Amino acid sequence: MNLLYLAYRNMVSKPLNMVLSLVLLVLSVSLVTFVLQLGKQLNGQMDKNIAPVDMVVGAKGSPLQLVLSSVLHIDVPTGNIKLGEAESIKNHPFVGSAISVSYGDNYKGYRILGTEPSYLDNYGVVLSAGGPFERPFEIVAGNTVAKKLGLQIGDKITSSHGLAAAGGESHDDNPYTIVGILEPSGTVVDQLLICDLQSVWDAHANHGGEEHEEDEKHEEGEHDHEEHDHDQEGHDHKEHEGGEEVHDEANSTGQDLEDHDDELEITSLLVKFKSPLGLVQLPRFINENTNMQAALPGFEIQRLMGFLGSGVKTINGIAFAILFVSGFSIFISLLKTIRERRQELALLRTYGLGTRKLLFLVLFEGLLLALIGFWLGWVFGRLALVLASGYIESGYGYVLQLNGPDLPELLLFGVTLVIAIIAVLLASTSIFKLNISKTLADV
Amino acid sequence: MTEMVKTEGLQFKYPGGQAFEFPDIILNSQEHLLVLGPSGVGKTTLLHLLSGILPASSGSIVINETEITALDRKGLDLFRGAYVGLIFQQYHFIKSLNVDENLRLRQNFPKKTMDKERRLAIAERLGLTPYLKKKVTQLSQGQQQRLSIALGLIHRPQVVFADEPTSNLDDFNCDQVIKLLKDEAELCGSSLVIITHDQRVTQHFSNQIVL
Repeated sequence: MNLLYLAYRNMVSKPLNMVLSLVLLVLSVSLVTFVLQLGKQLNGQMDKNIAPVDMVVGAKGSPLQLVLSSVLHIDVPTGNIKLGEAESIKNHPFVGSAISVSYGDNYKGYRILGTEPSYLDNYGVVLSAGGPFERPFEIVAGNTVAKKLGLQIGDKITSSHGLAAAGGESHDDNPYTIVGILEPSGTVVDQLLICDLQSVWDAHANHGGEEHEEDEKHEEGEHDHEEHDHDQEGHDHKEHEGGEEVHDEANSTGQDLEDHDDELEITSLLVKFKSPLGLVQLPRFINENTNMQAALPGFEIQRLMGFLGSGVKTINGIAFAILFVSGFSIFISLLKTIRERRQELALLRTYGLGTRKLLFLVLFEGLLLALIGFWLGWVFGRLALVLASGYIESGYGYVLQLNGPDLPELLLFGVTLVIAIIAVLLASTSIFKLNISKTLADV
Repeated sequence: MTEMVKTEGLQFKYPGGQAFEFPDIILNSQEHLLVLGPSGVGKTTLLHLLSGILPASSGSIVINETEITALDRKGLDLFRGAYVGLIFQQYHFIKSLNVDENLRLRQNFPKKTMDKERRLAIAERLGLTPYLKKKVTQLSQGQQQRLSIALGLIHRPQVVFADEPTSNLDDFNCDQVIKLLKDEAELCGSSLVIITHDQRVTQHFSNQIVL
């Protein structure tokens, strides 16, 4: 029989006394931990998603939209850009790698992304089964997509026009074949179906006019070959002539390509810089001198988080206000129980317990309440995260993980304990003034 | 034979109220004392003074060779816990604990003595065995009376102060309770000081003072 047990029995013998305090505590803790986790995980995922991309080049419009659509794949694209113009950027000496992406179709709500094989290398994603896409209409499925839709190697899927699952015409005539399934990467790649650029062009060429024949598609394929050759030439040129001239040179190459084929377009170009100078010079150059725009994912996401940050701060502010109200409520409840148990406390004094021990008794009760409240609140916060995860995953393709307590949550735990201790100390002043004789003689 | 309780010139005055003067008391260890007096002469006050839960205005109280008027609050708490047993006129228990847990709690302070055998033995002698797992609020008046006797004696105090232990009892139960008290006190080797206005008790004690 120790004080801790007595405190516990005291608490459970009159649970209604503490219910309000507990509810408030649970509410505030769950709110804070939920918002903390959500922000942290979304930030972490976004950072991971934008890390392989220093700059996005796409059609003019909102830079944020360009980043959201082409890097994070949660918005519609700003438009298309000419492949030729994009190719010209690739040759700039400050550019380390540049990957074309093109999209516009989906399969059951998951985006089909036409790109180059190096896209996967950039995200460091490897195949868990099957092989890479090598020919048009071969497709590699991101891990989440494959799992959610139960896709197997060799499955044929038909894409639908548009980026949303509902509506959109389906391209029944051109089914894709699943040739590979990717390992989970914790990035946006998990949510994508990835094929080569040609597939996307072909799908839309066909979509545009039903009369187009197989032959024509072949022709287009050949055109593509030509471009590639051309590109190589341009590249060689550049190396010979040095960086300064590249702009003109590249532009003229682009011009050439446009002449070759007006219709070949991509959605955007994902650029990784070779030199930090690229970050300084290229975006401005592109925005001022071409009819494309360059957006920096890091900067845009930071800006977006700036907008969201005030919302998060507001919610946290409310949660902390509730936490303090909960502390006040603990104070009131303890004050009430101390008053009700005045005679029991006096009795304990006659048993030889000093005032300090009585203080511990009340302290244990307050701390027990804080512990239970924090634990329940933490659990509820995580439950909310599970609920939100389902919603966010279907809407944005982000998967929220259930983590153990992290540092900010431990700090919150500390704050909760401190508030409980202060409430106990304020409530227990009457213990020091307890008149045993009078209290015990009162009926 | 050592002196268990010894008072000299004991006085108490309530702030702005009644003043009491008490006759000197000398009680040897293992002897019993009956303090008789009508209502309002300060019987409960005397008991509270002797057990150190009320500080005397003047005079000295020596219990078991300790001058308790010289002890500070903490020293008094410890002294009372170790050497004194109290049986109150109104029963006081920890309501959130059951009968057995109340007894264990009293055994535990100030020194931890988890003497289960003693607990069971005293419960058996006082007829509380069937109620050990019951809540104290479920006990009858008589059972509560016996539990408070058990609580006053379970920790083997040197001296037990009982305040009107028989006031609510009929003649038969009055005799029973006094007998139980005396038997238990003798088993523990404790002195017993009973403060009452109940004339029925007088026949049981030779050592008496009247306030």
